Amino acid sequence: MKKVVMYTLSTCPWCMRAKKFFREHDIPFEYTDYDKADDRTKEAIKEDCLAHGSEMSFPFVKIDDKVVVGYNPEKYATLLDL
Amino acid sequence: MKQEDNWIFALKEDELSNGEKKPLLIEGNKVLVLKIDGDFFAISNKCPHMECPLSKGTLEQYVIKCPCHDWRFDVREGKFLDAEEIRVPIYETKVMEEGVFIKLSKEGAGK
Amino acid sequence: MDDEKRKEQLRTMFSKVVDPLGYKFSTDEELVEFLLEQEVNIEKEKGSPFCPCQGLTGEREHDMKLVCPCIPFHREHYDAMKRCWCGLYVHKDVDDPDSLMQISLKEFLESKNKD
Repeated sequence: MKKVVMYTLSTCPWCMRAKKFFREHDIPFEYTDYDKADDRTKEAIKEDCLAHGSEMSFPFVKIDDKVVVGYNPEKYATLLDL
Repeated sequence: MKQEDNWIFALKEDELSNGEKKPLLIEGNKVLVLKIDGDFFAISNKCPHMECPLSKGTLEQYVIKCPCHDWRFDVREGKFLDAEEIRVPIYETKVMEEGVFIKLSKEGAGK
Repeated sequence: MDDEKRKEQLRTMFSKVVDPLGYKFSTDEELVEFLLEQEVNIEKEKGSPFCPCQGLTGEREHDMKLVCPCIPFHREHYDAMKRCWCGLYVHKDVDDPDSLMQISLKEFLESKNKD
């Protein structure tokens, strides 16, 4: 099973849709809301996001070592071999 | 109405030094008068983004930066530096007998 | 001020800002309502209606470019998607906003460099 980790914002509808996608496909995932996180977690997420593509756009979805920035069900499905 | 009737007294020429600005209410319009290198400029005092008072912003040469979200405008043409389709309304100015006069445009911009 | 009223104020102010840029509010009214509601809450908490789908870093120069409508600071990227990142605004000719995908800045820049 591939590991799915997501950075999200509590205010972002596309993050909600991304979570819904994984739930509907019975794929377990971990997520952290960047806007609700403590300072240290925030700093780590920020570094991760900026290192990937110099932007702070959410959702930021990691499927194993691959990253998808944005709500993109087709890409999620491809990376998960669905 | 005759052309010269449109010019409205704003302030006395010596009320502003170079680099200074002053907000005024002229016939219900919030206007900001600025003096730069000896020339007078008049713009709407409301930022076109969220209507913040530009009078509280900072002026660097011809560029005024809104105090709320740092949107920058060239006071000569009113252009927003990051997207010139967006403009802050500007008004013509002239100096007559030591007074600075401005002409409120027909568009009623800045109301 | 009550939230509903502020939401309408933001809607009126922002439609004037995005119009000359060739954008309009999305026709997905449910999404628009939700996003504006988030912005009203964000404004109450942080002082400005920041984008609900992009993260603040605490650096003024970065964060001020995320105050809604943030189109002027991300013009080329948003024009390529025909929408802003959160989808609150779309190009004026867009009738089916659901057909527009989010393209990350990285992907956008890579495809641009290929051309």
